[in-house]
Amino acid sequence: MTGPHILVIDDEPQILRALRTILSAHKYRVTIAQTGEEGLALAAAEHPDIIILDLGLPDMDGITVCAHLREWTEIPIIILSVRNQEQDKVKALDKGADDYLVKPFGIEELLARIRVALRHLAKSQGDHETVITSGPIEIDLARHIVTLDGAEVKLTATEFKLLAYLASHTGRVLTHQNILSNVWGPEYLENVEYLRVFMSQLRKKLETDPKQPRYLLSEPGVGYRFVTED
Amino acid sequence: MTSSSSKHWLIAKLRNFILAFSVISVTTLILFLLRERFSASTVALLYLVPVLICTTFWGFWPGILSAFIAFLAYNFFFLLPYYTFIVHQTQDIIALVIFLGVAVLISQLVGRAKASLAMAVARESETTRLYEFSLGLAGVNDLDEIAGVIAHKTFDTMQPDRLVLRIKPTNLESPITIALPLEDVSAGKPDLVIPLETVRTFLGDLSLWLDRGRLAPSEERVLSTLAAQGALALERAALERAETRARVLEESDRLKSSLLSSVSHEFRTPLATIKASTTSLLSDQIPWESRDRKELLSVVDEETDYLNYLVGNLLDMSRIEAGALKPNRQWNILSEIVEGVITRMHRVLREYRLEVDIPEQLPLVPVDYIQMEQVFTNLLHNSAKYAPAGSTIQVSARRQDGDSLMVMVKNEGPQVAPDHLERIFDKFYRVTEPEKVSGTGLGLSICKGVIEAHGGRIWAKNLPNGFAFIFKLPLTWEGAPPPVVEEERL
Repeated sequence: MTGPHILVIDDEPQILRALRTILSAHKYRVTIAQTGEEGLALAAAEHPDIIILDLGLPDMDGITVCAHLREWTEIPIIILSVRNQEQDKVKALDKGADDYLVKPFGIEELLARIRVALRHLAKSQGDHETVITSGPIEIDLARHIVTLDGAEVKLTATEFKLLAYLASHTGRVLTHQNILSNVWGPEYLENVEYLRVFMSQLRKKLETDPKQPRYLLSEPGVGYRFVTED
Repeated sequence: MTSSSSKHWLIAKLRNFILAFSVISVTTLILFLLRERFSASTVALLYLVPVLICTTFWGFWPGILSAFIAFLAYNFFFLLPYYTFIVHQTQDIIALVIFLGVAVLISQLVGRAKASLAMAVARESETTRLYEFSLGLAGVNDLDEIAGVIAHKTFDTMQPDRLVLRIKPTNLESPITIALPLEDVSAGKPDLVIPLETVRTFLGDLSLWLDRGRLAPSEERVLSTLAAQGALALERAALERAETRARVLEESDRLKSSLLSSVSHEFRTPLATIKASTTSLLSDQIPWESRDRKELLSVVDEETDYLNYLVGNLLDMSRIEAGALKPNRQWNILSEIVEGVITRMHRVLREYRLEVDIPEQLPLVPVDYIQMEQVFTNLLHNSAKYAPAGSTIQVSARRQDGDSLMVMVKNEGPQVAPDHLERIFDKFYRVTEPEKVSGTGLGLSICKGVIEAHGGRIWAKNLPNGFAFIFKLPLTWEGAPPPVVEEERL
């Protein structure tokens, strides 16, 4: 009995060698593709549970692969990128990627992202939760109530809307533009300052140490992410 | 020569002759009315006045014409017998001949004086133009500008229908073509092509289209002087540029080899540690205790982080060098950036006490989040590198003069000699010996690059009990002050 099936699309043999060994040891079934073309074919043929996709492929760029995949499947996609590719990361996320990791990354980080993606997959196939819990935070989406260690926290309308939007995509990186257009409206795409200020207010109300947030995380140059504790 | 211009010329000449004729006619009329009062010899003298006027105003040939007409009129109206060209008296014949001689002589003398005056004026204006030209070229070092000066000055001086200046391309420069007047694109064979060349090289040429077909000798002289001076200026500029380029290349070569040696030295150290740890772990000779195994692996982990930091700095440096460091500004919360960096660097900073003093009410700052992260990362790395373990590193920020932000990263590290303070932001500059303290010497120069790209300034300062990096950033963005996001009521 093997675990979930992961398709890794990357062209560097050493990374593939390491990932295959590590992921197999964690009981994942691993398939490997070294080009975008091959990756798209394998994704269609084998229907993996998760795709790990490198942005720099020899035949086409990862963003294009992402866009092609999203034409027919909702399989979670985790992007691997190198530094100085913030614009590319944002583009990939906008094209439907679920998450990204910057090389070099710690393997715990990758495993955590894989778990989040799998949970997200299970959730999207089942019923939508109306109550989301992360550590001491409990968000009741239907009743518009947020509690911290059982005590109700007063949030303004926008604060709640922002938290609810992040929480309903738990674990996923949401780009600034994505959040702004969904919470404030499409005409606010450039007003990142709203997001900064309201995130900071949310952290003050919900995080034990707002300076070292554990649930409402910044993704520098890209966006924000709400995480639940594993 | 075009027909219209030769017609003009003819009309002008004809006008002069007609005017000369008229003056003599009027003089004759006046003298005729006064014939009884003057003797014939006085009349002859009086006739010299209009001849003089004609020569002075309308030139030599109209002067000669006036002399002849005056001669005939004098004979006809004032010498007996009147109204014939017959002369009876011998003395009258002598007077007539002398009159003609004197009139012609006057015409000649005056005409020659006028011509030499005109030539002197022309020479003077020629000299002035050449002076202006060399003055125009003197302050200019740019090839395009020099070409512009040559083309425009030649155009102004020669007044051609059209002018085209071509500078041939070299291995360093692209070709330049200037056509005047700008809108005129009509081609055809030029009337005149002057090469722009010096003893050493041929640089290009100057083509002229002239309505008058050819140039006067004086104009040709001016043109060849313009061309020669222009060519010299062009050559000087080209040589200067080639020299600058050679110097820049040499400097960049020197920097590159310095970078390579610095980087290879820098990478070897963590690589050596990693290699030692992993080969130990791979070896079957020692059954490692789990505590030791963990220690070795932590070393490997930390060293890879450090390698990654070095590579990041190299990438940033190459972007700064390529001029690609354009900040992607947004209104950001400074403390969020600083706290993020501190969290990420917890391993590097674990032996230090960290104090962050950023006031709550500090306005939003217009910066590139990622680049500012890099600035703080490098400043904190530097502080951790030099300050003794267990000491305090402080990050503080204040609004200053209303529209700027002052940030200070303070550590308890050793002081830096005053004459080094400026230079620590230079590339590859390290105060201590390369062997003593690790680092590529890139970190601080990246900070400088980023801060300056944000329109700010960074400097370092010795403190009574330590050392501080200070930078100042504008709080306005394209003239706009920090936005205030309204608080929402519950």
